[in-house]
Amino acid sequence: MGYVAAAYVAVAVLFAGYAWTLIARQRDLRRRIARARGADSG
Amino acid sequence: MGEACVIGSVIEIFAGFLGVGLCAVCSALYLWKRERRYDLVAHASAEIGVLFTALTIAAGAIWGKPTWGAWWTWDARLTTALILWFIFGGYLMIRGWAGARGARAAAVIAIIGVLDIPLIHWSAVLLRTLHPRPTVFRAAGPDLPSSFLYILLFNIGAFLLTYLVLWSVRVRQESQRARLAELEMV
Repeated sequence: MGYVAAAYVAVAVLFAGYAWTLIARQRDLRRRIARARGADSG
Repeated sequence: MGEACVIGSVIEIFAGFLGVGLCAVCSALYLWKRERRYDLVAHASAEIGVLFTALTIAAGAIWGKPTWGAWWTWDARLTTALILWFIFGGYLMIRGWAGARGARAAAVIAIIGVLDIPLIHWSAVLLRTLHPRPTVFRAAGPDLPSSFLYILLFNIGAFLLTYLVLWSVRVRQESQRARLAELEMV
């Protein structure tokens, strides 16, 4: 049953990886919007 | 462990169906009304749908190894689920390459792709497959021990909540991306 546990860890990593991608994308969008607003007002 | 895997596979497909179903509905509304907000929701829903369909296939494979002795077999239900994943994976690839310019083509793909959902459901009823026949959604009522059914329903609720959180974050990101494109055009 060890391989089943290992496979489940892999699924958890997939889920965590997606959550991390969402957070990174959110940070990048916030930064780019702030920069675009700065350029717009300046 | 086997029960956990089969529960995992069943509940994840609900969230997967919700994602691709919502994507298809919003795609149809986008083609009809040509309003950008429907396209944004469709794009966000497709991504979450692909994630949960991938998790469904993975959890099913983990269940299949101890039960059938194989990670994968070209069973009708597995194959139709894989086709759904490929169709909506293609949808995301079009959006990734063509962006908003590919919205109409992607919407057509989503509407065609969602027709695979009834095929997935009926594959275990109409065809000879390794999958058991439906035990929850059937005319005579659920055919499961109540303890198992409650766990299943609780987990479906928990996963739909997870879906809702991820989906709302993703929709907000698509709106922000559209706003950014407007700002950069000014």
